[in-house]
Amino acid sequence: MKVDIQSLETFNQLAREGAEQATTSMTQMTGIEADVEVTKLSLVDRQDVGEELGDREFVGVQFDYEGELAGETVLVFSRDCRTSLIEALVGGADSKAMARSGVKEIGNIMMSGFIDGWADYLGASIDHSPPSYIEGNGAAVLPDAPAGGDTNHVFVFKSRIEWVDESIEFYIYMLPEYEPLTTVMADHADTGDDAIPVDKLEVFNEMTRSGTEKAAENVTMMTGIETVAEVSQISFAPITDVPKQISNETYVGTVIEFTGVPSGYLMVLFDEVSAKNVAEAMMPVDMGDDELTDQHKSAIEELGNIMTSGFVDGWANVLQTSVDHTPPRLVHDMGQAIIDPLAAQVGRHQEHAFIIDSTMRTDDIEFEAEIHALPNEQELRQALDDLLVERAGKTDADPEQIFQE
Amino acid sequence: MKVYDGQGETESEIKSEQIKVGIAEYDVTKNGAVLTTSGLGSCIGVALYDDTAPVSGLVHVMLPSADDMEDGNSAKFADTGVETLIEELEATGGDRENMVAKIAGGSDMLDFSESGSGIGQRNVEQVKETLEAYDIPIVGEDVGGNHGRSIKLKSSTGDLVVKSANKESTVL
Amino acid sequence: MPEVLIADDSEFMRNLLREILEEDHQIVGEVENGVEAVETYKEERPDLVMMDIVMPIRDGIEATDEIKSQDPDANVIMCTSVGQEEKMKEAVKAGADGYITKPFQKPSVMEAIEDVVPS
Repeated sequence: MKVDIQSLETFNQLAREGAEQATTSMTQMTGIEADVEVTKLSLVDRQDVGEELGDREFVGVQFDYEGELAGETVLVFSRDCRTSLIEALVGGADSKAMARSGVKEIGNIMMSGFIDGWADYLGASIDHSPPSYIEGNGAAVLPDAPAGGDTNHVFVFKSRIEWVDESIEFYIYMLPEYEPLTTVMADHADTGDDAIPVDKLEVFNEMTRSGTEKAAENVTMMTGIETVAEVSQISFAPITDVPKQISNETYVGTVIEFTGVPSGYLMVLFDEVSAKNVAEAMMPVDMGDDELTDQHKSAIEELGNIMTSGFVDGWANVLQTSVDHTPPRLVHDMGQAIIDPLAAQVGRHQEHAFIIDSTMRTDDIEFEAEIHALPNEQELRQALDDLLVERAGKTDADPEQIFQE
Repeated sequence: MKVYDGQGETESEIKSEQIKVGIAEYDVTKNGAVLTTSGLGSCIGVALYDDTAPVSGLVHVMLPSADDMEDGNSAKFADTGVETLIEELEATGGDRENMVAKIAGGSDMLDFSESGSGIGQRNVEQVKETLEAYDIPIVGEDVGGNHGRSIKLKSSTGDLVVKSANKESTVL
Repeated sequence: MPEVLIADDSEFMRNLLREILEEDHQIVGEVENGVEAVETYKEERPDLVMMDIVMPIRDGIEATDEIKSQDPDANVIMCTSVGQEEKMKEAVKAGADGYITKPFQKPSVMEAIEDVVPS
């Protein structure tokens, strides 16, 4: 099945407009000003849905819908967020039941706005159930991603909405069943030259996962810290939303430009604490310094280099091509400022972009790393065309074998 | 219970209102709000104000020129973004004759191009060219270099506060 | 002691290789790109070059090709994070004698060297 870039753009736009409509409703009810920060369409492994919610407590509402599209939609607020909302709505909730009812009502109104846009666009009705109240920690607050056919992947529309003044946020997830969604997207596709085979996008995502695992293994080998790949996904978003994929905290890491099929940019980023922890684990002596020194940065530079190779080598081996990259550039700056020049480069030729994101974590110390790749759309499409699905597992190459021949 | 008219009193009215301007967005104010935009790498924040009106506006542009692009979003480009902001300010009561500009951003960090003229630098050139065409003087700038910036335009005073990672804020 | 030239743009990696090698080898030079690697090779004629692939100005495969065409008896071990099959083939074609992928442990480095320059 093929979907084209145009239909991905249209569907992402629908989700964005829906989220904006929902946010406007909330502002009208509570007087709280909020902005839709990001809307993206991601293709993720079912087990990874909602990973970005971390371990925080959430409350919210859930709807089932059926019709042209079927599945679930969820709106979740962090707990602190709920308190502010309820206060704004009813001037302080004196009972738990009232708080729940408030959340349900806000959720109901917001989500109607969200769903209506879809139905209008599709020219069909989408029926939704009454809202049910949900609460839980992290990804557990979300319903199980819908199972569908023979794929482990699901498309998820995610919007993150932020308060203007505070760092409180809420999320809207739309989890459509795979088959009806891809059918609708294919129906709305104008299968010209920019069509993308959906099944290959999944294979690409699996390659990304094994690349992340390889990069995590490399971290373990270099630092002795047991590190695991957490999540990998391919997302699609307007180019102007790309920088918002990263927080504006200060990051340390490396950036490379890669050329070949595909071409683009790749970032390996650590928050400052993680950077310091991981660099020290690579060094023989304890630095005992609070600042990030040049030695820390040199260690990060090399780690970034090795993680980058772990990540892109799999693409090259599966595609039976070579992917060249520049030596790593060390960066230490605001997250969004790091990605913004790369988004601008890619944005000279395209209005939307695919973003490949991975994260890895460890339980031993405070450590988290993010890998983000920003491929040029045209070459990514070319790479997907060239991709032989049966080679998907061949991400590793053995130098001994090649040198013996 | 509040009246659901979207104008209800909120806590945020006690301090000056903050308006976040996203990438490829602009906003204007005539009530002294603080306009902010963050994470400027090669992007540029262009702040314009006319203190006779008084009105202020901020646009966050990403690419130099709208030429050759089929893209309806004028605020994404340095040339059309600046023009749009000037028109919006005039629609809100400003006059281009009285406007002054302050600009920040346009860093050349992560410029992989071999020609040495990256998007950051071309953004700066285009913003300056467009402002000059409208005869609007630049009264403060912090552009180029190798680092990112976040900015705040205090429209009550016209101060533009520029913050860089690992550095003290400066006021233009 | 055998003489070794280290070519890697990462200071961290040069330090690590030096620590692994200096006990049994004499380090005749540490350089940061392929051009310097070729020049230093010509001056020093070391017994072995440990050569990174991704380096600025000139990459390690091109530098290996150049060194090997001038001195077919040169011993070059690629020492790189790149694990792409096509790159390994290019390295073989350029005349590389061995290939170590980063991250590595000391025993695998010693083993690769023993294969190429038996003590």
